[in-house]
Amino acid sequence: MFTQQLINGITVGGIYALIALGYSMVYGILRIVNFAHGDIFMMGTFLGLFFTQSLGMQFYIAFPLSAAATAFIGIFVEKIAYRPIRIADKLAVLISALGVSIFLQNLAQIIWGTETHAFKSGIEVSTFKFGGLILSNIQLIVIFLSCVLMMGLYFVVNKTKIGVAMRATSHNLNSAKLIGINTDRIISFTFGIGSALACIAGLLVGIYYDAVFPIMGYSYGLKAFAAAILGGIGSIPGAMVGGFVIGIVETFGAAYISAGYRDAFAFGILIIVLIFRPSGILGKKLVEKV
Amino acid sequence: MIIKKIAVLLVAAIVSTSFIGCSSSTASKEIKIGLAAPLTGGSAQDGQSIQKGVELAVKMANEAGTISGKTLSVVTVDDKGDPSEAATVANKLAQDKSIAAIVGHFNSSATLAGAPIYNSAGVAHISPGSSAASVTNAGDYTFRVITTDAVQGAYVADWAAKDLGAKKIAILYENTDYGLGLAQVLQKSAGDVGASIVMQEAYEVGASDFSTVLTKMASTDADLLFIGGLYNETALIAKQLKKFAMKDLKIMGVDAIYSDALIELGGADVEGVLLTGYFHESAENKVAQDFIAAYKKEYNETPGTYAAYAYDATLIIIDAIKNVGNDRSAIQKYIAGLKDFQGATGVSTFDANGDVVKDPLRLTIKDGKFTIIK
Repeated sequence: MFTQQLINGITVGGIYALIALGYSMVYGILRIVNFAHGDIFMMGTFLGLFFTQSLGMQFYIAFPLSAAATAFIGIFVEKIAYRPIRIADKLAVLISALGVSIFLQNLAQIIWGTETHAFKSGIEVSTFKFGGLILSNIQLIVIFLSCVLMMGLYFVVNKTKIGVAMRATSHNLNSAKLIGINTDRIISFTFGIGSALACIAGLLVGIYYDAVFPIMGYSYGLKAFAAAILGGIGSIPGAMVGGFVIGIVETFGAAYISAGYRDAFAFGILIIVLIFRPSGILGKKLVEKV
Repeated sequence: MIIKKIAVLLVAAIVSTSFIGCSSSTASKEIKIGLAAPLTGGSAQDGQSIQKGVELAVKMANEAGTISGKTLSVVTVDDKGDPSEAATVANKLAQDKSIAAIVGHFNSSATLAGAPIYNSAGVAHISPGSSAASVTNAGDYTFRVITTDAVQGAYVADWAAKDLGAKKIAILYENTDYGLGLAQVLQKSAGDVGASIVMQEAYEVGASDFSTVLTKMASTDADLLFIGGLYNETALIAKQLKKFAMKDLKIMGVDAIYSDALIELGGADVEGVLLTGYFHESAENKVAQDFIAAYKKEYNETPGTYAAYAYDATLIIIDAIKNVGNDRSAIQKYIAGLKDFQGATGVSTFDANGDVVKDPLRLTIKDGKFTIIK
């Protein structure tokens, strides 16, 4: 049972990690928490559902298309809801993000109804048995894809020109502007990448559980946010570590103690880590400027 | 000059609003029925079918003729399935004296939050979906058309142990008053019929990952899985059970999982799921048949359980209004004394606590359809 639960934990952890990246990247650059991120994740999932079921596309066309479309939603949300008030108090952006979150949730309920939809992706589920262990191909896809995407992102941020610009923007937005970086474009790029990753996480949720609903963004968003904080918000490897830690801790807590306290384990570990390391597992210590 | 103009406008406004006030109070050719249901939020799907059931009942009553020259109308409020929101909207409905009686609330926790308000205001309310045991003692003005969890829990324990020979039962229940109540009743009554509970775990409403608890269950020797929750989670549990091919065992639930959504979502994986139910399209009673036909015509879909319960709750209120008028306390007395009322969900009689007494049907899913087990 231990190994089986570990695999279950890694699978959900991978999904949390993918969503957490979006929170962490946006925070890293703008120092704001994009509370609409969970709902962008949900929109991505529903776009996947829309392309495969309503338009009858094959998943290998529909899924990249929905990732691209979700990236545009993310960029659009930043343009109309965050950019105009970016120079205002951080709190204003936070409230705006909550507004976007409520708007997207209700929009999805109006378009697709309030019910839970089956996510017939066209990807066949098969299971493999090794001794007492049961692994499904979907679990392998989730784990593999989340690792590859995170490594890809790490590469983009650390080894490419746009990555250098992103890091410069995150160090200091105004200085980055002074040395000729088009910071607005970098911010759009960040939102786009974060949203596309959230969409992929959503599609994986759809394939894995075969059920999607308009308010799914809330609980996934909250857990992923906790994962981003736990790993050290602003840090990309931190978001990955945080996602996996939350996934594994809540699974083991549910398995060996009580499933009713599943969420309590997820947030409990967050509190414990923050007591000893206020900046998160891999977060940098912030020096308060006087 | 400007001040004068403003003054004139103000006077005009006051006069016109007071006229509007007069006209609406003299022309109260309407009897209002309140509806408090979760139209948004986690239970929105059920809330909206409740709304459809209530509106259909009122529409059919109005088409059949007026009640002493007055037509019926519905005042709808959204409690979002949230107890604090429920208290707010309950106050709104209770204070509006033109509302004769109320259909609501759906979630047991919302009903428990609203009940003290309705009881102190002296207005009867009938819940279409709250089956938690604690609603029994909520007050004289609190009624429900759904049986308590105690009735259904004891019934399924008996069915599982005596007729299906299940001796080891695993329970998965949603972490709410409703789920916990069901789990506790089943645990208690399982002992009475010689079955044991080998696992009991809770999940959050809206959870989608059950791999953890199912892995845990696979390590027990359970021969029946009882789900104390709603259809969405039941479909997910059945699917994940099949997907991970962990164990082949019977799945059983209560009437809360009776919904087309269960079959739509669960597909082939929910075949053979056993459940109790009060409402079924092949039920041989005229009220149910008329309701199903009218519902299909109006909304172009088949009604779920809660639409039927809401329909029955509204029928009872309309029946009361027809017999005793729209006086709030007279309506309460009438409903309290109601016996053998034929509705879409069976024959209802209220006991001294305002709980309904009726026998469930035994259902299963066969070839993608709910069928009655004879």
